[in-house]
Amino acid sequence: MYEKDGEKYFVVDSHSHFWDASPENWVKGAEEYAKGWIECFHAYQGLGPAETHWSLEKFQKYTAEDFEKDVFDEGHVDVAIFQPTYLKEWYTNGFNTAEQDSVMAARNPDKSIVNGRFDPRDGDPGLRQLEEDHAKYGHKGVKLYTAEWNSGSRGYKLSDDIAQPYFEKCIELGISNIHVHKGPTIWPLDKDAFDVADVDKVATRYQELNFIVEHVGLPRIEDFCFMATQERNVYAGLAVVIGGLMHARPRFFAKVMGELLFWVGEDKMLFGADYAIWEPKWQVEGLVDWDFPDDTFSDYPRLGVEGKKKILGLNAAKLYGIDVPAEFRLDDEEPAAREAAQLVES
Amino acid sequence: MTKDDVLAALGTVYDPELDEPITALKFVASCEVADDGAVSVRLRLPTPQCAPNFAFLMAADARDAVRTVPGVGAVSVVLEDHYTGNEINAAVAGDGGFGDAFPGETEGELDALRELFRRKALVARQGRLLETVADPVSARLGDLTGPDAVRCRELRSELGIDASDEAPAFVRGDGTPVPAPEIARFARMASLTAISLEANGGVCRSLLSVRYGIEEVAA
Repeated sequence: MYEKDGEKYFVVDSHSHFWDASPENWVKGAEEYAKGWIECFHAYQGLGPAETHWSLEKFQKYTAEDFEKDVFDEGHVDVAIFQPTYLKEWYTNGFNTAEQDSVMAARNPDKSIVNGRFDPRDGDPGLRQLEEDHAKYGHKGVKLYTAEWNSGSRGYKLSDDIAQPYFEKCIELGISNIHVHKGPTIWPLDKDAFDVADVDKVATRYQELNFIVEHVGLPRIEDFCFMATQERNVYAGLAVVIGGLMHARPRFFAKVMGELLFWVGEDKMLFGADYAIWEPKWQVEGLVDWDFPDDTFSDYPRLGVEGKKKILGLNAAKLYGIDVPAEFRLDDEEPAAREAAQLVES
Repeated sequence: MTKDDVLAALGTVYDPELDEPITALKFVASCEVADDGAVSVRLRLPTPQCAPNFAFLMAADARDAVRTVPGVGAVSVVLEDHYTGNEINAAVAGDGGFGDAFPGETEGELDALRELFRRKALVARQGRLLETVADPVSARLGDLTGPDAVRCRELRSELGIDASDEAPAFVRGDGTPVPAPEIARFARMASLTAISLEANGGVCRSLLSVRYGIEEVAA
């Protein structure tokens, strides 16, 4: 939790990682990709305040104690939602698997939600794996990385036929939150890999599921916003928006926030620190203090204390059925768990 | 022929996603002109994971632009430090297309992708020009001035949209004029598209400066 000026904020970090990108985990023959991936992430960290930068060595592999200090003890985070990114073609044991995340979760069971993943190119064995993972980790959400490489394929679309049984399986298992992360490759390579039209299609088709578009569809914020206005069950994941812009480019950050508030709205925006790229502490504190820099932004909706409380935790708490203590709730709000339960029953 | 001539030619090459010249973005890492007129250009991008399709377009466009410089000899354009650099560089060196760089992984060449982003760029540029005219519906292209107006004309010509002075100043991405009742919504969408491109350009500049330890250039 975070308290400022007498207001208490319940913080759900909807995008957190516990990864291992150390050279010992690089797949032989794929070292350049494994190295390039983590160095790219490390460069992103450079967009945060200088005093929060790490050495590349620490960034490649950090400890459970680092995580607990940076996220729970100093980062104000009440609940962290772990988002896996497997990348087993590049990292022997995976870059960041549900299994790795579950180690952290076991140490902090009340503060952790472990999301799963699937890859529709894995066919029937993948469906069985999803069932097993769900039984083991109790997934309420999955994170999908559409640009992941898999046996010669460089990506997929959510609207592909092979993906549909997986969404049906998610509905059957009660995995209701689908986090989507677009990346730079997809089949066929000549199309725009960041296009969010496939999210639009499946969001329309599966009304029981929530689709959280990570990084607000960056670099296609415009496509994402147009789509989000039309789909009730599409949400904006703010990871990278806050971490990558709030400090490095505050005026762009203000414009992007203004557009998101206008098109998507404060009820459908979710804070995510994207640790260990960026530590949550400066992001939480910065967002609570944030306002538009001057009156050239007067066309945009304002963001007040209530909106910040929703973005920092209450919106994600609703999606995940997290019981928020009364002191953090908004006055007119139902307890989240009850509301979520009703949603499942109806 | 001098290095400046080559750099001027490279200045006509745009990052299709950001709608900015690769020289302004500092994507040209080096440019050398030998005594025999041979030109060697090295390109660099903000991350090793930048999308292969856009990376290919910039490398191939750079090669083609440099070849138009009078007196130029052999032209070599090499993309540095990219995870599909080997594939892209081989195809660019051999005058191959995108499909040659990634056999079996493409359905077509990159014309449709390029066109899509030209349309986005046109909408974004118009977003910045809208507030410079009193009545956007009656405004003509000839009424618009400044760098955004110049670029709009280029983009319209490339897209086969009327780029004469008398043509309507503001058109949708498909080239049809924006009717009066739609101006407010068009302005909102154009502003969003412009901000998206600017934000991406900002992130790319920041990442490039972190990656190569160079001083950041203003957008």
